[in-house]
Amino acid sequence: MASHEGTHEEFHYHAPGLQHQFEDMKQQEESVSIGMWMFLVQEIMFFGGLFSAYLVFRSRFPLAFAEGSNHLDPFWGGLNTLVLIVSSLTMALTVFYAQRGNRNMQVLMIVLTMIFGATFLGVKLIEYTDKYNNGLIPVTGWNKRIKDTGASEHTAETSPAKDAAFVLPLVETRTSAAESATHEIHPNPKGEFQWNYGSHVFDYAIEKEKTSGKAYLTQSERIGYFSNGAFDPNKYRDKIRIFFYIYFVMTGLHALHMIIGLGVMVWLLWAAFRGTFSSDYYAPVEMSGLYWHFVDIVWIFLFPLLYLLGRHFLHS
Amino acid sequence: MADNHNEGHIGYPGYFGVFAILVAGTIFTYFSSFWDLDSIFPGANTLLALLIAFTKMTCVMLFFMHVYWSPRLIWLSVVASLFWLAIMFAYTMQDYFTRGSGVFSS
Amino acid sequence: MQNVDAIGSADLTGPTKTNYLSNGFTLKSWLLTKDHKRIAIMYLITISLFFMAGGLYAATIRLELLTPDTDLLTSATYNKVFTQHGILMIFFFLIPSIPAVLGNFLLPIMIGAKDLALPRINLLSLYIYWIGGALTVYALLQGGVDTGWTFYTPYSTTFSNSYVMAVGLGIFINGFSSILTGLNFIVTVHTMRAPGMTWFRLPLFVWAQYATSLVMILGTPVIAITVLLLAIERTVQVGIFDPAIGGDPILFQHMFWFYSHPAVYIMVLPGMGVVSELISNFSRKKIFGYEFIAFSSIAIAVFGFLVWGHHMFVSGQSIYAGMVFSFLTMVVAIPSAIKMFNWSATLYKGSISYDTPMLYGLGFMGLFLIGGLTGLFLGSLGLVVHLTDTYFVVAHFHYVMVGGQVIAYLGGLHYWWPKMTGRMYSEFWGKVSAMLVFIGFNLTFFPQFILGYQGMPRRYASYPAELQVLNIFSTAGASVLAVGFIMPLIYLVHSLFYGKKAPDNPWMLPGLEWRTSSPPPTENFEKMPVVTWEAYEFGEESGLDLDEARRRESVTTVS
Repeated sequence: MASHEGTHEEFHYHAPGLQHQFEDMKQQEESVSIGMWMFLVQEIMFFGGLFSAYLVFRSRFPLAFAEGSNHLDPFWGGLNTLVLIVSSLTMALTVFYAQRGNRNMQVLMIVLTMIFGATFLGVKLIEYTDKYNNGLIPVTGWNKRIKDTGASEHTAETSPAKDAAFVLPLVETRTSAAESATHEIHPNPKGEFQWNYGSHVFDYAIEKEKTSGKAYLTQSERIGYFSNGAFDPNKYRDKIRIFFYIYFVMTGLHALHMIIGLGVMVWLLWAAFRGTFSSDYYAPVEMSGLYWHFVDIVWIFLFPLLYLLGRHFLHS
Repeated sequence: MADNHNEGHIGYPGYFGVFAILVAGTIFTYFSSFWDLDSIFPGANTLLALLIAFTKMTCVMLFFMHVYWSPRLIWLSVVASLFWLAIMFAYTMQDYFTRGSGVFSS
Repeated sequence: MQNVDAIGSADLTGPTKTNYLSNGFTLKSWLLTKDHKRIAIMYLITISLFFMAGGLYAATIRLELLTPDTDLLTSATYNKVFTQHGILMIFFFLIPSIPAVLGNFLLPIMIGAKDLALPRINLLSLYIYWIGGALTVYALLQGGVDTGWTFYTPYSTTFSNSYVMAVGLGIFINGFSSILTGLNFIVTVHTMRAPGMTWFRLPLFVWAQYATSLVMILGTPVIAITVLLLAIERTVQVGIFDPAIGGDPILFQHMFWFYSHPAVYIMVLPGMGVVSELISNFSRKKIFGYEFIAFSSIAIAVFGFLVWGHHMFVSGQSIYAGMVFSFLTMVVAIPSAIKMFNWSATLYKGSISYDTPMLYGLGFMGLFLIGGLTGLFLGSLGLVVHLTDTYFVVAHFHYVMVGGQVIAYLGGLHYWWPKMTGRMYSEFWGKVSAMLVFIGFNLTFFPQFILGYQGMPRRYASYPAELQVLNIFSTAGASVLAVGFIMPLIYLVHSLFYGKKAPDNPWMLPGLEWRTSSPPPTENFEKMPVVTWEAYEFGEESGLDLDEARRRESVTTVS
């Protein structure tokens, strides 16, 4: 209240953390909550733009997208999804304990959330490194440069560690089985984007078109994959490159939000450890939770849309 | 006392229940991606995956983010933002779907 | 002690109390302030600087276009000049103008609050604006951009040799300033209203700011991601906008205009809010159709998101999409028309006083009418093929943006100047410059409709010789307009030092902002108000002392 005249009899209990522009904590919490949700609305539209781009390209080049998607490892993607879900649970429990003023459990839950968040980023690092090693980053020079030794090397024995990223432990896939038999190391002197995995999805679709008589290619694909009437692997590769570009931008932006989220968690941990939050004042915990859950929701959509496309073409 | 919060009364059983749904959804989406549902109708796999993702999102929003117990303004914000996403997708795609050469073959 | 119930009883001769301006004189007290009023003043200074910079570019354009040949500038330089004029004016002047200056200052006062809900976010918004602006200015000084403010691909991604990345980054950063302001306003209107200030007692200025804020938070992130993709594309040339590898340049346009069309509503809705205040208050009559105007603001904000394709009719988007967007463009004109009718009805049988702010308000009505109607021309599929990328489009958007928002901004600035600074400006010079602006503006831009119809393309430094006469009129008008814009700068600043001290309620109006001192104290009100009257209540119910009002009306005509 701006004026305290005549109210000396009332003891104005100012809850800890009450900011000067608010009358009471209820108003502050309401404001902060609406503010955070407005921020999330904005974030939804931010990622929405990328989903729009994905939608446009996927509808034009579904086969290339499926081809690229088949080379993302759903094991790691699925694991990451589970990791994030667990972290969402621990985050929700953080708020739960903050509501009850339980400092120790709060701190424990924040630490767990951070561990799972870091795990997510670690897995992403594994995935990105794998892409780097295999020339799947869509920018020239950003992939591992492998000198051209003249003859391509065939290793009859596959190194299990390297293939572990590709081969799902439980389900052997047609493509990965074929690949693991002869694993070629392709030269990549300029670190370019390379697509060395053939065009299995495309072949499958052409086959189905012939046998079933139904159209499996879009109009854009009929123009986009062919040169002079014949299938052009370079043009196909370009479309797959677009897939990987969208993959990296979307997951990269998501990972950036995770990193920011971890930063927020560091602050939250420090504040919770100092006992800043109580059952009267825990709005910052709740708001941080909202952000964390939002980042989880984005991943819930990213996972199927990027990792699980057209997997049934080759793996059913 | 901030006692306008009646959220979170689902407690441990509630949170773990939602968690179980989310995990189940993830596993289901993972394995169903291997089934050839496109023989039912084209795009069935994608539709199923999106439905599962939507369900998971709804669970997280309602229960982890406490939207279920939140004032109507928050509900409106959530619905509005999803609606705005829909506007962006639909109106962009209505261009691509209706171009003369046809994005989709018949 | 300010009595909020009976207005007009301010004590002019008493000792000056501290107000937000005298509450700390150090640089730190300004740069680290959480006071929305100080933040508004800092915005005011910054956007005035950007306005002048953008105006210099405009002057250069008009000078070049005096003659049909490309003689003053090379084409390459001309490309940079019009691009930079657009970027500075749109992103760094028009979009923040009314919301960041007048909105920031007045919104809390109009709803009876001490400050915005999130003052630190407000300060952050200002800092982000400065950072984005500084980066952009730096890039412009280094050599600038020549892609047009629309950054169409593939020129901007592949072929342009200018500072696209830096400017894009500046715009990206600036977008967050916009988002945070909008976020703050929405929260504030929901949670900080004084007791008795129901939604339908809010001034229409507040409704307009609220609608604008909705557009800001729903639309701005999309331009952010678009600029990000553009920047990545420019760096790594992956090709999502490159048709040679299956990309689509139209996708860029879709994403760009998804924001940029609603952005033009950010660049007019606040102006409409100001005009509602001006028309009603200077007719001393309750605004006609309050709910209609309030809801039409929301309708414009919502429908504004459905029409972006009308910028892309000839881009290669499908004819069907063109028809949908054209139809919706016609629909979105309806809420604006509703406002015009309501303002006109407010004027009818009102007690109109032709003070400077009212001149600007009336000017808005006339100029926005022309601008809006010509927008319908451009929304018609048949006509647009002829008029696209001609000066008709240029004239249209200047009528709505300059004849609309800039005029409203000037009107609002004059109207609330006594409240913000505690000084009265010179009414004589105010009226003179308002007339100069109106005359200069029409002389500049009306010929451009004709030029466009005759086929003069936009963004060209040269044109056919037979079009020179109209171009000369246009440049002459621009000179008058420039004088009209510079004059307020002089007499408003002059008033800061030599202007008559303003009473609390110089215009004798019932609004809540007039029930506190000029300038207001840091907490806005000495005693937080309890609102028991409707908006625009000119009768006794609002506590307005009519005899006192008539007696003090002479105050408003002081020069």
